[in-house]
Amino acid sequence: MNRRLRKGLKGLMDPNPEHRRRAMESFVRDTFEIFIRCLYRYLGNEVECEDVLEDVYADIWQNPEHLRNVTNEREMLRTVYLYYMRKRLREVYRRMNRYLHLSQEGLKNLIAPEMGIVEMISEDELHQILRRTMGRLKARERKAIELWMEGMSVRAIANELKTTVGAVKMLKFRTILKLKKEFHNYNLKD
Amino acid sequence: MAQINRTIQELLVDYAETLRDGCIPTFLKSLTREEAQTITSSRDFQDATEIVRVLNSVGFADKAVNPNVSLFISRVDAEIASRLKKARAPSQGRRRSNPKPVTGTKKTEKPI
Repeated sequence: MNRRLRKGLKGLMDPNPEHRRRAMESFVRDTFEIFIRCLYRYLGNEVECEDVLEDVYADIWQNPEHLRNVTNEREMLRTVYLYYMRKRLREVYRRMNRYLHLSQEGLKNLIAPEMGIVEMISEDELHQILRRTMGRLKARERKAIELWMEGMSVRAIANELKTTVGAVKMLKFRTILKLKKEFHNYNLKD
Repeated sequence: MAQINRTIQELLVDYAETLRDGCIPTFLKSLTREEAQTITSSRDFQDATEIVRVLNSVGFADKAVNPNVSLFISRVDAEIASRLKKARAPSQGRRRSNPKPVTGTKKTEKPI
């Protein structure tokens, strides 16, 4: 963790709410990118991400105690996710729940699950591991994932790979499970 | 997504697409009771969603990173200011409500 962020965190622990409010500015500047990327994983929508993050920062200002013993960036992200983000993420779609067939618990697990091992990895590390694991996939599997990450629909991918939509869905599902296994193996080695 | 009772592969692909497009509610609303049960009970689906989220962040999270953080900081500050105001408000309310019992006792004193 860099010195500025450490100083910002220290400022957040001030018992005076007005001092904490002033310390918030530098803390937001230093952490905005990390937190918004994390939220984007779960929401995929920048407007909702900003709305949730606004509340997350206000919650941190109100009750910063959980961050007192944080020593590195990874730990900070994990703590913020567990104690501040998850609660807010669960509230995003809570009002929708009465119209859904998904149980409250199922919704919770889908929208704001426990933070998995893979989700704990930093952005740079993720890029590296992803490049490596994608290299181990079969050409067709790699192509399907790459095209999807370019923003193509399943139908467009099927056209590109000259196959059916159902086959692409199956291929994608299997490839994603394969990637999960590779990521898991990487973590075990680590 | 109008199909009834999609398979787990189809559900995952639909989840991945709605997450990429930022419209998860569409996916949630499209679930039938059976599909919802399939999702809840499938360990494979849970594992796969973890990877889908990671791919989503690697591929598309850049567009969420707002270059103008100052505007966002002012939003956070406004939210904090409103919470500060709310925190101070109840104590004023309590002060105002204190005189009420006094007038009540006055009324009872009259008949005596």
